[in-house]
Amino acid sequence: MDSPEKEDEKLQMFFDGELAPEEEAAVRRSLEGSPKAAAQLREWEHLRTAMKSVATDWAGEIDSDALFARIENEIGAPVVPIARPKLEQPGLRVIPDGRERRVWGGVATGFAAAAAIFLAVMAWPEPHLDPSPIVRGSQVLEADFGSNTGTIFEVEGGAGQSLAVIWIDDEEVGLP
Amino acid sequence: MSLIRHLLVIAVMLGASIASPASAQGSSLARSDRASTISSVPAEVLVVLAKEEQGKIDPQLGKMTALRRPPFNSFRSMKVLSRPKLKLTPGKDALVSLPNGRRMKLTLLRVMPDGRYKVKAAINRPDKSDYLPLLQVIASAGDPFFVAGQKYQGGTLIVGVIVDPKKTAQ
Repeated sequence: MDSPEKEDEKLQMFFDGELAPEEEAAVRRSLEGSPKAAAQLREWEHLRTAMKSVATDWAGEIDSDALFARIENEIGAPVVPIARPKLEQPGLRVIPDGRERRVWGGVATGFAAAAAIFLAVMAWPEPHLDPSPIVRGSQVLEADFGSNTGTIFEVEGGAGQSLAVIWIDDEEVGLP
Repeated sequence: MSLIRHLLVIAVMLGASIASPASAQGSSLARSDRASTISSVPAEVLVVLAKEEQGKIDPQLGKMTALRRPPFNSFRSMKVLSRPKLKLTPGKDALVSLPNGRRMKLTLLRVMPDGRYKVKAAINRPDKSDYLPLLQVIASAGDPFFVAGQKYQGGTLIVGVIVDPKKTAQ
């Protein structure tokens, strides 16, 4: 007895009509006692019928005569050489002395970059030459306490800067 | 070659923009220009009543860390009584009334080349010169100076003056 794979292969060959007559007769005999194989054959037949039907429908939509006529015409037409546009070669290869131009291009680019750097360096303000760095805080230049006595303090601000405090002794004054 | 031309144009434009007078002259010139052209500067006066008795510190003073340091750290309560805003114009007096009847007179004398403000202050009763006849201070934008010591309602008045308060956060 053949293995299931072998039997399946033989069944497919039977379906496709590829078996020798004696083998075909043997398969036909075995189908009588095997409803599973018979069902498989019926399913394949159903599929084949469906595919044939679809193929016929598609074929009906295509004008095969016109298609073949066009193909024949194309084949029979004299061969005309296609005039290819002349490919533009890279400039540096076509132009004589291209290497020299490339060198000059590099020099000009380098000059432009050098000029930009030079201008930037010359025009950049130098912070260490700034005569008036930003100073934070407050300070007393002059205080006249009049007839009172007073003290000038320095207190540290939130940013660490020195803030001026003028403290003047006072007797409470009445509202005018 | 067009690429090279482009590069040259970019280089020239870059150089021209960097070498423009505004930036080439640096910030010092800009600052000295400001000194001569400034019309008015905003200012804020902070009038605080401080007491040694235990109490609350006004939340408005939360960022004023200087008021928690000597000589102010002996006060246990502080209350902002007023916070008038004014504009200081060079050579023109600005008056702020204090709760004890005195008035603070503030005058912007000039803007220094370094951007700081030279301010003249005086605190007196009207038509008197009985307390602080003259005070001259230089202050940077946003940094206060304080005049303290006036007695009021059992406490002490602390008057803080901030020129250009929005410029630098205190």
